[in-house]
Amino acid sequence: MWADLVFLGQIAVKSSVAVALAALGELVAERSGVLNLGVEGMMLMGALAGFAAALTTGDPWLGLGAAALVGAALAGLHAFFAVALRANQVLAGLALTILGAGLSSFLGRSLAGQSGPRFRPLHLPWLSDIPVAGEIFFTQSAPAYLLYGLAPLLWYWLFRTGSGLRVRACGQGAASADAAGVNVARTRALCTVLGGALAGLGGAYLSLSYTPGWATGMTGGQGWIAVAMVVFAAWRPLGAVAGAMLFGLFQALQFWFQATGQELVPAWLLRMLPYLLTIAVLAVVQGSPSLRRRAGAPADLGRPFAREG
Amino acid sequence: MAANTNTIARGEPLLSCRGVCKRFGAVAANRDVDLDVWPGRVHALLGENGAGKSTLMSILAGRYRPDGGVIRVRGAPVAFASPAQARTAGIGMVHQRFMLIESMSVAENVRLAAPGARDADIAALGERYGLSVDPARLVADLSMGERQRVEIVKLLMRGADILIFDEPTSILAPAEVEALFSVLRRLKAEGRAIVLITHKLDEVLALADDISILRRGRVVAGCLTLDQAPGRRELARLMVGREVLLSVEKPPRDCGAEDETVLAAQGLSGLDASGRPAFADVDLAVRRGEIVAVIGVAGNGQDALARCLAGLGGGTAGSVAFAGHEGGRAMPAARWRGARGLSYVPEDRHGAGSVAAMSLAENALLTGQADERGGPLLDLARGAAIVERAVRDYRLKAESPQAPAGSLSGGNLQKLILARELAAEPALLLAEQPTQGLDLAAAEDVWQALLDLRSRAAVLLFTGDLKEALSLADRLAVIFRGRILDVIAADDPTAIERVGLLMAGVAAPATADGGRNGTGACA
Repeated sequence: MWADLVFLGQIAVKSSVAVALAALGELVAERSGVLNLGVEGMMLMGALAGFAAALTTGDPWLGLGAAALVGAALAGLHAFFAVALRANQVLAGLALTILGAGLSSFLGRSLAGQSGPRFRPLHLPWLSDIPVAGEIFFTQSAPAYLLYGLAPLLWYWLFRTGSGLRVRACGQGAASADAAGVNVARTRALCTVLGGALAGLGGAYLSLSYTPGWATGMTGGQGWIAVAMVVFAAWRPLGAVAGAMLFGLFQALQFWFQATGQELVPAWLLRMLPYLLTIAVLAVVQGSPSLRRRAGAPADLGRPFAREG
Repeated sequence: MAANTNTIARGEPLLSCRGVCKRFGAVAANRDVDLDVWPGRVHALLGENGAGKSTLMSILAGRYRPDGGVIRVRGAPVAFASPAQARTAGIGMVHQRFMLIESMSVAENVRLAAPGARDADIAALGERYGLSVDPARLVADLSMGERQRVEIVKLLMRGADILIFDEPTSILAPAEVEALFSVLRRLKAEGRAIVLITHKLDEVLALADDISILRRGRVVAGCLTLDQAPGRRELARLMVGREVLLSVEKPPRDCGAEDETVLAAQGLSGLDASGRPAFADVDLAVRRGEIVAVIGVAGNGQDALARCLAGLGGGTAGSVAFAGHEGGRAMPAARWRGARGLSYVPEDRHGAGSVAAMSLAENALLTGQADERGGPLLDLARGAAIVERAVRDYRLKAESPQAPAGSLSGGNLQKLILARELAAEPALLLAEQPTQGLDLAAAEDVWQALLDLRSRAAVLLFTGDLKEALSLADRLAVIFRGRILDVIAADDPTAIERVGLLMAGVAAPATADGGRNGTGACA
């Protein structure tokens, strides 16, 4: 029983890495005031680019790098429309998701079904030997460890440094940030691009570690889960990772029930839970004025900024 | 301190403008503006709304680029491409709408403007200038006066020595105004240059060393020193360009009119928009043929009270009765949702009062359409007629009924909203801060419209302007911290003094239960 639970935890963490990376990326973009609904498309392109580069070079790390670049490039496209042209961010983001899905399906046709290099579980000295926690968190592949480092780093950046303060200011009050001398457009563009790179990494984790290989539409909606998790976490990095892990747990439970044949909770309910929880969190936060004021929801999210005159 | 300012030699101005021009499309907001600001002096910039004061200041703060002219700071010509460059030149501005991020702490807001400022520095600087605010507090939890202090701390923290204040007292309580003035005097004594933009002549005479007056984008009187300055009547005349009556003609109340009570609130309590208790135990009655003013300093619960009486919710206890609605019977406050015959002119004329992208005619139909028998179809001709009437009766300046509402200035928009609400022939007009931010000429038109209505209906006026309340209202209900402290007849010779004291929260000296006496008077 105990071993089963540890195994369940392991699978849960394993299933959460892609969502967590993409959610962190979306969080940075949204904190700066840019809503990017193109996460799903950027993840798909990242998954394809990562797999293709790893297949060509034989090195999964180069695949990871390529995925980040492709994700960043697509996000750059979003930044061009959403920040430079001040287009409607919802429409631009949706277009990006459609573009990513279509383009990856088209370009990946010859790669589907091939097998290539992958990240294997990496045993870390000390950490992997800790009972229970070590077995759950430190028997993962390299991108998971990247995530463990990245989440606190992003938190520190956003909440403990001057440039992080300026990023949050662009999302919370673009006019105030501008009056304080922050270059709102540049900050937003850079954050969007950084967010895209992380979404690309999330996608590559899927094609290089979680379900190695390329399959059309292989993200299966994880990009949308990532967008939901940002809201669920009230725009806090560590909360986003925790939310992603909760999502991973639901995934793991589905596998578990399938494997054991005893379906304690129906699979459709588990698949629904991340969205239901997000709605519940939104309802609770919106219902309480003091929570609402303290929640991180960027006041200027999705609102293009232009100085008059 | 006064002696100090007189001994400072004028020398070279810290900031000087020559021939500054700025156009927005066909409108010239600034034409050939000259302005000099010296260290250790307060330069008051007077002018009506739309005179170009804010445009000029936005140019100095680097938000707009001028189309022509030269700006010198410390003698060197500058051309600001961004607010950041103006900041670097030592120019700091306290905008009318604060540039603060509500969900962040005071310290974070200061650090945004002055990177690297530590909490201890912020507290120490606040202490030194009498601007103390706890750096750890959330801006959303601060009062307007405290927020303004944060804005000033931001400027001082980054060492700005040319400080621009845009209508700084419009949101302050009288006690806070005095505190702000002493801060300004201290900054002046330190040799900083201060520009004070204002409508209020008293403030100018109390604080300014130099005075410039803008009218229609031009300087009509430049750099008068205080002793050269003419009296306030003359200053007002220079501002508007014609003789201004500082009071309107209020006909005596028609005693023949029946004293029918149109609106009566009993023990009314309620919450503001964010769910906090805002007002309590309010008893208020408005009769036909009179104007009742609810007067108070902003932030004393009058916004929530106005919304609640207008039927927008927020009431938790007490009752409201409205003549002709449910037989005039009192109904629980929680269920009060307005009634036919009640018209409402909201304070926020841009957001709540109109839709910028819709035409004037459409805006004229936004409320009151349900009263018509026109059915589901939009009667655009009626909307156009309302606009035409506003053009004729209230001197609304508009191109055509098809022009978008967003093209109107604040004063003209207010006239349109008034015309719309009056077209419904209300039994009670609830007008909230109807002349706030309007220039004198527009305000006079609004006042006249309210006085005209008084002869046939009831008016409940929410205002923070004592002069407006005294010259329009028959009775004044003073609200302080959510309670009506007293109701005073406007023709009472001691009204000015008593209302002024009550607004500041100083209850009548004789009784501690003065509030109960006062509310009894209107029951």
